[in-house]
Amino acid sequence: MRLLTHNFLRSNVKGTENGYPLNIEVTTINCEDSPLDKSFLLNLLPKVNYPALRTAVQQISQHCVPPLKEIPEQLDVSDKESNQNLDHETLKNLHRVLFDVYLIEGWLVCPDTGRKFPVKDGIPNMILHEDEI
Amino acid sequence: KLVYLPPRSLVLLSRDARYNWEHMIVNRTTDTVNGNIIPRDLRVSLTLRTALTAPQANEIAGPLPRVESTIFPPRWGQIPETSACSNREMGISTHSSATDRSDLITPETESKHVHAVYDAIATQWHHTRGKRGVLWPGATQFLENLPPGSIVADIGCGDGKYFSSIIGCGSYVIGTDISLPLLKTASSGSGGEGGPQHQQLSIEKETLSTRPAVAVADCIHLPLRTGSCDAAICIAVMHHLSTVGRRIRCIAELARVVKVGGVINIQAWALEQENDSKRKFHGTDVLVPFNAQPKYLQAVNNHEGNGTPSKDAPAVDAKGKGVAQMLSENYDGAEFDSKKNLVIFQRYCHMYRQGELEELVAEVPGLELMESAYEKGNHVVLVAVREHFDL
Repeated sequence: MRLLTHNFLRSNVKGTENGYPLNIEVTTINCEDSPLDKSFLLNLLPKVNYPALRTAVQQISQHCVPPLKEIPEQLDVSDKESNQNLDHETLKNLHRVLFDVYLIEGWLVCPDTGRKFPVKDGIPNMILHEDEI
Repeated sequence: KLVYLPPRSLVLLSRDARYNWEHMIVNRTTDTVNGNIIPRDLRVSLTLRTALTAPQANEIAGPLPRVESTIFPPRWGQIPETSACSNREMGISTHSSATDRSDLITPETESKHVHAVYDAIATQWHHTRGKRGVLWPGATQFLENLPPGSIVADIGCGDGKYFSSIIGCGSYVIGTDISLPLLKTASSGSGGEGGPQHQQLSIEKETLSTRPAVAVADCIHLPLRTGSCDAAICIAVMHHLSTVGRRIRCIAELARVVKVGGVINIQAWALEQENDSKRKFHGTDVLVPFNAQPKYLQAVNNHEGNGTPSKDAPAVDAKGKGVAQMLSENYDGAEFDSKKNLVIFQRYCHMYRQGELEELVAEVPGLELMESAYEKGNHVVLVAVREHFDL
């Protein structure tokens, strides 16, 4: 599961006020190296919830070898125009954290209820139990 | 097929003739029957379409609403209120947006005849349908029309056969499905070739295809944040939902995860099939067989993660039972065909009448129906999200 995907997932356990963003507990993480597709990234950025991305990076960073380069503390990604002005280094780092880091084994934890959703072979299992529906 | 009705004939139309075929009286002045030319004379025909219960002694007979049974064998049930249902068929009742709790839990029909079946046949499904890459009508066009960088939710994505198309169109796809075995085949290789123009993905897009974004999830409870997607597709999923409430709920979930201004493409099997189609449906709720080959089932049983059919398994066990027979005993509801050596699974399917998907869409607030189509035995609706409501 990439962090880009994680950015869209939320807990829908019954009674959850706010099941987003899910906290990440890492068991196994893989880092790969894919080439930056700049226009694709710029098109996608406005859809990303940036604070959630930053939190996710902080939660997994210690497990990454080599360590992840820092992304800006705050960033308003909603404006496509200003995104164009982001420097190449920042774009590369954003690309890396969004696309190249995979949670293979671990847990996604609901910030509200603490419910843990397992991630195995990179696939999160978000199926609810009957009492959570 | 011409049928000669001599005077005082009685015709009883049932099953296909009643629900699927059309009939007419050819407009001419004579008919030829067995070589004899019969001129047309006065024809008096009394058509009894629906039988209703007689009103009670004290009841005042009012105008009767149109009553139809859309299922076979027909069931009449309560006569619906005229105001609520001028065009409604029986079996579709009005739902408030808060879904019945019972609709939220998977009914046995689906767990046994949908979920368990796809889990079992996942490998064969991916090898035979996913890899063939034949996409449902209009899907490629729909995806190509999306702006680049769109986030597309593929709900009920199965083995991911739309992924390479979505990625090739410059979008990012997040797929969910209730079947983990099917999702695993999505990762084992790109699902299908998509359209010819997307066969070769750029290097940048390769990893998106080989590492698809998927999650195990129920379409009734999507684990996606509200309004986060630009579009959603839900293809060949709705016909596996067994109640009206669940179908509405699925559409409502699609409407929730797609942003205001986003679009949804829903496709399901049509009750009305084309003349040359191999499919013949005798009612709206049917079990459709799937012939599973033992070699694929064995792969699942042998826990071979990549789903390669096992070559070394014995053809017959000590008692002389064939592999297929043994396997069929593992699956509740599956039958063994000894002649063809196949395990036959039954998939629950609800066939949609013309207009039925549209009626369901109308039950979900905030949606606008953009387009309706029928193609190759499938009904398609294109829906835009205009507003979000708290359900």
